[in-house]
Amino acid sequence: MAEQDIALMAHLMRRAGFGATYEELEARAAKGYEATVEELLNPESQPAIQDDILMRYQPQWVSKAGLEGQQEEWTYRMINTKRPLEEKIALFWHHIFCTGHAKCEYPKQQNIELDMFRTLGFGNFEELLMGLSMDPAMVFYLDNCMSHKDAINENWGRELLELFSLGVGMDGNANYSEDDVKEAARAFTGWTVTNSIPRYPYGKYEAAFIYDPSDHDYTEKTFLGETGNFNGEDIVKIVARQPAAARFVARHMYNFFVADEPQVPAWQNTPPRDPEAVKMLEDEYFRSGYDIRSMLRVLFNSDFFKNARFEKVKSPTETVVGTMRLVGDFDMPRPGLNAMTLTIRYMGQDLLNPPTVEGWHTGREWIDSGTLVERINFTADAVGDTSHRGVQAIISRLGSEGATISSERLVDGCLQLLGHYQLADVTRNELIALADSEGELRTGTDEFGTRVGQMLQSIVATTEYLFE
Amino acid sequence: MVVAQRISHVQLQYSHTIGRGEQFGPGFTYPIHMARGEDDLMYVLCRSSEYRPEGTRITVCTVDEEYVNAFARGVPQQGPHEYNFEDGSLVWPVNVAIASDGTVYVSDEWLHRISKFTRDGEFIGKWEENIGSGDGQLDRPAGLAVDADDNVWVVDGNNHRVQKFTPDGQFLTKFGSHGDGDGELDQPWGIDIDSQGNIYIADWRNDRIQKFSPSGDFLMKFGSSGSGDGEFNRPADVAVDRDGIIYVADWLNDRLQIFDPDGNFCGSKTGEATVSKWGKDKLDANPEMWGERERAPNLERERDFWAPTGVAVDDANRVFVCEGPRNRIQVYQKQSPMFMGPRL
Repeated sequence: MAEQDIALMAHLMRRAGFGATYEELEARAAKGYEATVEELLNPESQPAIQDDILMRYQPQWVSKAGLEGQQEEWTYRMINTKRPLEEKIALFWHHIFCTGHAKCEYPKQQNIELDMFRTLGFGNFEELLMGLSMDPAMVFYLDNCMSHKDAINENWGRELLELFSLGVGMDGNANYSEDDVKEAARAFTGWTVTNSIPRYPYGKYEAAFIYDPSDHDYTEKTFLGETGNFNGEDIVKIVARQPAAARFVARHMYNFFVADEPQVPAWQNTPPRDPEAVKMLEDEYFRSGYDIRSMLRVLFNSDFFKNARFEKVKSPTETVVGTMRLVGDFDMPRPGLNAMTLTIRYMGQDLLNPPTVEGWHTGREWIDSGTLVERINFTADAVGDTSHRGVQAIISRLGSEGATISSERLVDGCLQLLGHYQLADVTRNELIALADSEGELRTGTDEFGTRVGQMLQSIVATTEYLFE
Repeated sequence: MVVAQRISHVQLQYSHTIGRGEQFGPGFTYPIHMARGEDDLMYVLCRSSEYRPEGTRITVCTVDEEYVNAFARGVPQQGPHEYNFEDGSLVWPVNVAIASDGTVYVSDEWLHRISKFTRDGEFIGKWEENIGSGDGQLDRPAGLAVDADDNVWVVDGNNHRVQKFTPDGQFLTKFGSHGDGDGELDQPWGIDIDSQGNIYIADWRNDRIQKFSPSGDFLMKFGSSGSGDGEFNRPADVAVDRDGIIYVADWLNDRLQIFDPDGNFCGSKTGEATVSKWGKDKLDANPEMWGERERAPNLERERDFWAPTGVAVDDANRVFVCEGPRNRIQVYQKQSPMFMGPRL
């Protein structure tokens, strides 16, 4: 198996999933790149996680009543899924279509939204926006249940346009006006949710979306240049056919899967980092009839994707989940999951509870002096624990290369087995010097595993390892 | 011509609901199982989440919903790999059973431990954790039952078998192995023993109930995967009353199923919960919620079982169904089909 094929597969699995062990990369490379892309794009071809086992050992995952429990469950799914892109696409849309626990206060309701992302998230963007418009968590989070025909609340209408479908502007021009926001809000009057049974004494119950025709504004609206007696469905249809919608989806995909872009508020006046790549995705959006899966297929098979290695700062979720998949920890439900999951929060990403409706700022904004320490401590602890199955596999593999291995090979072998990471020459040379200072490395000794673990710890503490 | 009518159903009449969601005091946190003690006492095993371990405990209350006390707290977490396994604490408790002298046994499927408490909740010992698959070793112990001789039967979940121990944890005998044939088990969970000493096992991943003789010989099985009458979706627990009627907590079908002594389907219950005494107290303390309840459509949803994991029946023919996600226990009273007099 050519190492460049494995390196490319490592790149694909980091972006379309949460990374993979070297053994999985070898198997996938043997299967072929495009075949793996198709498998990832069609998650139903792989077995689902056995929910009965999870719920037996983690009973609170039945009720999904607490934020931390729901964060645990999602993290566990991301670590153990055989359908990595299914969870990655849910994370992608969660980054964009934010609802927050601080307001919703019922994780089960947000999990229903995640399930929608797992299914509709691969499909037609118009249908996804319709699903979102009728999602009780979103209807409540953005106050559309408080928008009435005689007193509109603009929150949903505004965020639908600004943060969920078009963006404020592109190519230096605005994508919509304040009047469009108000007209969209009027069109969505009557889209509301049922009153819920209060949490006492037996816990919450899911709310349901309902359309209340008696509270809908039936008067004529003019929206994005079109006039009619529009209801919410019409607004979504008009939105989905805008060039700005194609740009919006394409640019978000590029930022999430390919390379870090400027943050969303800058998009009106800051062109895409790779305009040709974003144009390819925009074209596929219209060619495919707004099909997200088709856009992802173009993306993953493109040269711009294949060449964009280590151009993205890992999110906290990608950092933690990727590390756990690598070392093979939490492959069965066990205590300690809560502490592990909380590190994602400490690194700056409180899943299901983003700081604002704009979600998280990504890229280098993930890193500050506090979150950097959390990252390095967490990843170093994990890869330095030589009892982990995944770490043992790395030790065993390197140990099979001969009676001794050189310092250069120790560094390069660890980089290779971590997923073909690349270091700047100055960093690599320092690690080689570090290995040299420890003396000859004999593979048959007790010290060997320890030294491999220490080298892995040194690698994950580098600047380069912050990227994927 | 007079035709005798055959009694085809066991009649269960809803009695009342006990519980409310609480981490302390009157109330439960995910009541996963319970056992009936003396003097109308109930020992309700609460298995809280890892992020609220203080909710893990045994709450003692009466069938009339009078709070007595709580003991055996959960273990606060210290990190992904650090735990304080001090005696008397619980991490993943599954089942509770009571011996004739009032000793309370609790299984813990993370610690692979059987802990013992007095009827008042004082920790009095544990069986030494001995993880493995050899005789007397346990791997994720689940259901517990105490027989007429005060020996303890333990469902050894990950070893797919049942083991019998003396009260101080000495191995006596075992039966069962992994599989789906007669007498084989797949991650079994709940257990009960009838008045003849026969043993009933919730054969969880085989979606069936199996009955064994006191010596562990296979006697009977019933159930298959599905949601129809007599079918199961991961049965979590089983209980048998004095008349041999079998009650099954049909976990992921959200119902209680009832069978005659031969395993024939007699009926099912999907829940009839009402506001408990503790629940009323909570609502009275938060009166705006009475109004919210009045405005909520489909309030009848509150009646329904949700993922019942425990079922118990006492000598007064009261059937108790533990609903973890709803933090409550629904109580039913079996009606007697036999004429008891004195009036028609």
